[in-house]
Amino acid sequence: MPELSLTVNEHRYEVEAPIEMSLAHVLREVVGLTGTKIACNEGHCGACTVQVDGMPTLSCITLAHTVSGEITTIEGLRDHPLIDAFVRADAVQCGFCTPGQVVSAAALVAANPSPTIDDIRHTMAGNICRCGTYPRIEEAILHWRD
Amino acid sequence: MELLRPSSLDDLNGGLMIHGGTEVVPLLRDGILKADTLVDIRGIVPRGVKGNRIGVGTTLAELEGSTAIPEALREACRLAASPQLRNMSSIGGNLLQSTRCWYWRLKYPCHLHGGDRCHAREGEHREHAIFANDYCASAHPSDVAAALLALDARLHTTKRELPIADLYRLPDEADRHVTTLEPGEVILELELPAVEASVYLKAMDRQRWAFPQVGVAAARVAGEVRLGLAGVAPIPWLLTGPEALDAATPLPRTAWKVDVARALVRRALDRL
Amino acid sequence: MARLIRTEKEVEGRFEEVWLVVEEDPLTQWPDGPLSVVGRDALRQDALERVRGEARFTADIQLPGMLHTAVLRSPHAHARVKKIDLAPALALPGVHAALAPGDAKGLEGEPGYCGAAVAAVAADTFGQARRAVAAIAVEWEVLEAVLDPHEAVRREQFTMPSSTYERGDFAKALESADVVIESTYRTSVVLHNSMETHQSVCEWVGDTLNVYISTQYIWGVRSAVAAELGIPGDKVRVVCEYMGGGFGSKNDPGEYTFVAAELAKRTGRPVRCALTRREENTAAGNRNLTIQKLTVGARSDGTIIALGGEFINGVGWSGWSAMTDGPMQMLYACDNVRTVRHGAKINMPPMKAFRAPGFVEGTFGLECLIDELAVKLELDPLELRRKNYANANDDTPYSSKNLMECYDLARKHWDRRDEVRARSTGTWKHGVGMASQIWFGGGGPPSYAWTRVSSDGRVTVVTAMQDIGTGTRTAMAQIAAEELGVSLDRVTVVLGDSARGPYATLSAGSSTTPSVGPAVRAAAADAKRQIIEIAAQRYDVEEHVLDIKDDVLTSADGNVSTTLEQLLEILENSQILGKGGRGPNPAGMSVLTFGVQVVEVAVDVETGEVRVERVAAAHDVGRIINSLGARSQVEGGIIQGIGHTLFEQRLHDPETGRILTTSLDAYRMPTIADIPEIVCEFVDKPDAHLTNLGSKGLGEPPIVPLAAAVANAIRDATGADVHELPITREEMLRALEAAKKKERRGAPAAV
Ligand SMILES: Cc1cc2nc3c(=O)[nH]c(=O)nc-3n(C[C@H](O)[C@H](O)[C@H](O)COP(=O)(O)OP(=O)(O)OC[C@H]3O[C@@H](n4cnc5c(N)ncnc54)[C@H](O)[C@@H]3O)c2cc1C
Ligand code: SF4
Ligand code: FES
Ligand code: FES
Repeated sequence: MPELSLTVNEHRYEVEAPIEMSLAHVLREVVGLTGTKIACNEGHCGACTVQVDGMPTLSCITLAHTVSGEITTIEGLRDHPLIDAFVRADAVQCGFCTPGQVVSAAALVAANPSPTIDDIRHTMAGNICRCGTYPRIEEAILHWRD
Repeated sequence: MELLRPSSLDDLNGGLMIHGGTEVVPLLRDGILKADTLVDIRGIVPRGVKGNRIGVGTTLAELEGSTAIPEALREACRLAASPQLRNMSSIGGNLLQSTRCWYWRLKYPCHLHGGDRCHAREGEHREHAIFANDYCASAHPSDVAAALLALDARLHTTKRELPIADLYRLPDEADRHVTTLEPGEVILELELPAVEASVYLKAMDRQRWAFPQVGVAAARVAGEVRLGLAGVAPIPWLLTGPEALDAATPLPRTAWKVDVARALVRRALDRL
Repeated sequence: MARLIRTEKEVEGRFEEVWLVVEEDPLTQWPDGPLSVVGRDALRQDALERVRGEARFTADIQLPGMLHTAVLRSPHAHARVKKIDLAPALALPGVHAALAPGDAKGLEGEPGYCGAAVAAVAADTFGQARRAVAAIAVEWEVLEAVLDPHEAVRREQFTMPSSTYERGDFAKALESADVVIESTYRTSVVLHNSMETHQSVCEWVGDTLNVYISTQYIWGVRSAVAAELGIPGDKVRVVCEYMGGGFGSKNDPGEYTFVAAELAKRTGRPVRCALTRREENTAAGNRNLTIQKLTVGARSDGTIIALGGEFINGVGWSGWSAMTDGPMQMLYACDNVRTVRHGAKINMPPMKAFRAPGFVEGTFGLECLIDELAVKLELDPLELRRKNYANANDDTPYSSKNLMECYDLARKHWDRRDEVRARSTGTWKHGVGMASQIWFGGGGPPSYAWTRVSSDGRVTVVTAMQDIGTGTRTAMAQIAAEELGVSLDRVTVVLGDSARGPYATLSAGSSTTPSVGPAVRAAAADAKRQIIEIAAQRYDVEEHVLDIKDDVLTSADGNVSTTLEQLLEILENSQILGKGGRGPNPAGMSVLTFGVQVVEVAVDVETGEVRVERVAAAHDVGRIINSLGARSQVEGGIIQGIGHTLFEQRLHDPETGRILTTSLDAYRMPTIADIPEIVCEFVDKPDAHLTNLGSKGLGEPPIVPLAAAVANAIRDATGADVHELPITREEMLRALEAAKKKERRGAPAAV
């Protein structure tokens, strides 16, 4: 099987994976980081969002072998102030979409530390939450530094 | 499967090209695209905006934030897909995206897949075309292409230079393709004329993250007003004027799109 | 004392006469209003692990040697498997076992819908299993399929007997009515689309089957699996610590569990069977379509004297016919009501409960009809509703009803009408609409809980329930903390494992809090009683003078004051154990939830675009346990409601019955960009007759009135009568066109 070297949360992983294997699959089943979720596996929901060089990216439709940048997953954001902001705002119900939400939100606040509601709505629209935690997510991001 | 990463155009030799992979990866998984060799072309396709030229490796996310491009294109990029997809999507790949027709995506043996009927025409087609829909009723999903059509953009490929309108063709019995791209031909750059004013309006199901039901781009280029529409025909549709909507041939369940298009065309022209 | 009663049990609007063993419920209710912990905002106990991605869902379970399953699904809406050859599949690399129809429950030899499970393969990877499934050779005999619910009704093809309800004399009353309105409403099939798809991992350990499953009812899974496999229930252990949403669709094991269990048995390996998103949208249940032909007759003063409806539920190949007629029977005081409800059996995927099944659909029809009546009579819709207020459920008294208080809370939002309408400019028209909500949600026995109090004064609540994301873990901790007089951070709740803790009911039908909550309180009270008994002996005082508050045990005269740690130190590693059960529901009473929502919309009359701009919700669900969690539930319900109101719709190919909207680009759920401002209020009055808590469930009520309120706001804004969900641009433009025609004929279109 082809070899591949990935930088995930500042750790280097040398793994083997077929070319057609997605980054989400490699992260979850080869590297063993299951914080990244797969909910649709075809690019439609955002549950699998990770950052590649800081850019929110859908890991379920990214082939692991095509990634050369640095990957940040939810496991790399566990001490981010957004985590506490999400908890405080009750921005989580079932929690299946939530890691992806946090990864997207972390990129948003890195680029724009004081986003407006419109910014949030535009930038977070690719993360579906079936439980409907959106108003709480909005609140969490608006007050992420408090 | 193997993955190649050529470092110059000269190294290209067959295989399925992949840029952001937002279309390629799901279609490979579904068996709609097939390949033994994938060619990652990110290293060889220009990226970025230089004057009136846009490298087709530029992502929609980069373009939505660019002040160097006409408003219609910026807005089309801003309202396309989802944020993550815009980060991943190249504008070149966007022009070559396949139809969202559910029959096609579910691999019904329809005209566009080389079969002998259009399932959507007699079946479920509420999101389908109102023009040129007698052979294939699919609705072209690219906001970006509609904008570029109105802007009268030209494409530079490894083989030729052409107006964007010539990239597309209506499928027919003899040839089911919707583009004129030749095997191995790589799109490299877009070239925009001097644009005096432009707008893009998009009707969609949700406020964000949905394909266009109807997208209308209007641009004034060299004194001439041009209208490009998304979601109304199997290919991006150049509308000669508002009155051309009277000649629409909607299917029973797409008549509503004519009304929506009429309103958006009027508004787009007002705003120019 | 345990007591045996014969009672009516309600789950998701379905009633059953059953024998029940219930516990006495001797505790008196707490006083009204927010207490120390209960009735206040509490952060979710498990929020951190969920947000940090540490919570282990069924989807994350990876067991050594685990195999993956792919399922062969019927390409036909109705067909018989004449011959099936698994050999080509078994010959492929990585394949370990394959199942044919009949090898596991749910694998059908005569599938009744396109997408029904037929066969299954277990392999090392999912990709291998999928390729193997594609290699299975099936010879089909295609059978006749009925896709049209009307056709099914004509043929009297039903999933259960049609139900007719009548009180008074509908026909006669209609004749004497001053105005009569007849309207037909339709609602479309919508899909639950929990973010975690239906799935389980099965593993045999000795003669015990471990089932890790994304479920709303671990005990239901346990008994169904045990019965199917013919093994004792205690040889099935069901685990669901975290689950990624269900909304009613995960109340039973599903074919995937039976398949995984059987494959695990045959291979001697753990086996995962998980639906893909596309399978989820095909075969995991749905809210079925409805067609509602409704009639209302009223006096010119607005008194409703006749209500009638013929309801068709397009149930699918199996499933039950939900109470679409419920709101018409129950929401208003009307002496003459006649409803007929059919559950059409069609060759389409089966329904499953989806947040207030039947009532969501029926409320859309009824509450639109009531507003059409208000327009015709030129009456204020709120006044019309108040005028026809019901004071009993048919003849049965309510255990509590505060709908009038909800209307009072809604008043200030309703009074924004002029201001909102005045916002209309150009093609954008603004308007306000309302709709009332009625639904069950009282829960019922049995459910049990245990408490453990340790020497450090910390409390563990153990109950084998599941938290499906609604925050029940937190609510249970609040109840225990309140009863024991300890701070919330001292309480931990252990749940989600049938081998750890006593039976608790399913997390559906808004029944979890009202069912399990009282058991938790009873278990906490039991522990508290023992603590006080111990303290009374230790300090030589009478028990009744002692109480625990803020982690401190004190006597009434203040002579005793000791922290729980100090008192319980003597326990060392032993613990005080409490147990509690859920008492009975009040006999001879209707336990129901109520509410009203006021919605503001904007409609672009040229493009048919509808935006929901503001939703004000006032609900009466008895005592509120967690005010923060309760608001989140209301918001979640409203947002899901916006989905089925504006754009969610499952579409199928009319020729083959195959589902076309199997992916989330085509089946479109709301995103963060679609949400309105949401204002949420509660009456927060305990139901004096219901358990030791007086709490009802809140999972479902908020989704019930939303669609009708939106449609009524659209009418207010534009004069157009929407008759169909979802209100796509196509439907909106149709309604606007019809309103224009009506206007041309001389009738006033707008109020
Ligand atoms: C879920 C989803 C939603 C979307 N929503 C919208 C929307 O609302 N509006 C909209 O306009 N678009 C939308 N898109 C389309 C999206 O923008 C395109 O998928 C994306 O731009 C494709 O770019 P890519 O780099 O990922 O292409 P790839 O997937 O890498 O390639 C796509 C195709 O183009 C070919 N190709 C790529 N680059 C070149 C080149 N330079 N020369 C020749 N051939 C090339 C590839 O071989 C392949 O056939 C959506 C896509 C998805 C998946
Ligand atoms: S519309 Fe085109 S793609 Fe869709 S079924 Fe018809 S021929 Fe196929
Ligand atoms: S799992 Fe990747 S977008 Fe849904
Ligand atoms: S919290 Fe359940 S899907 Fe978002």
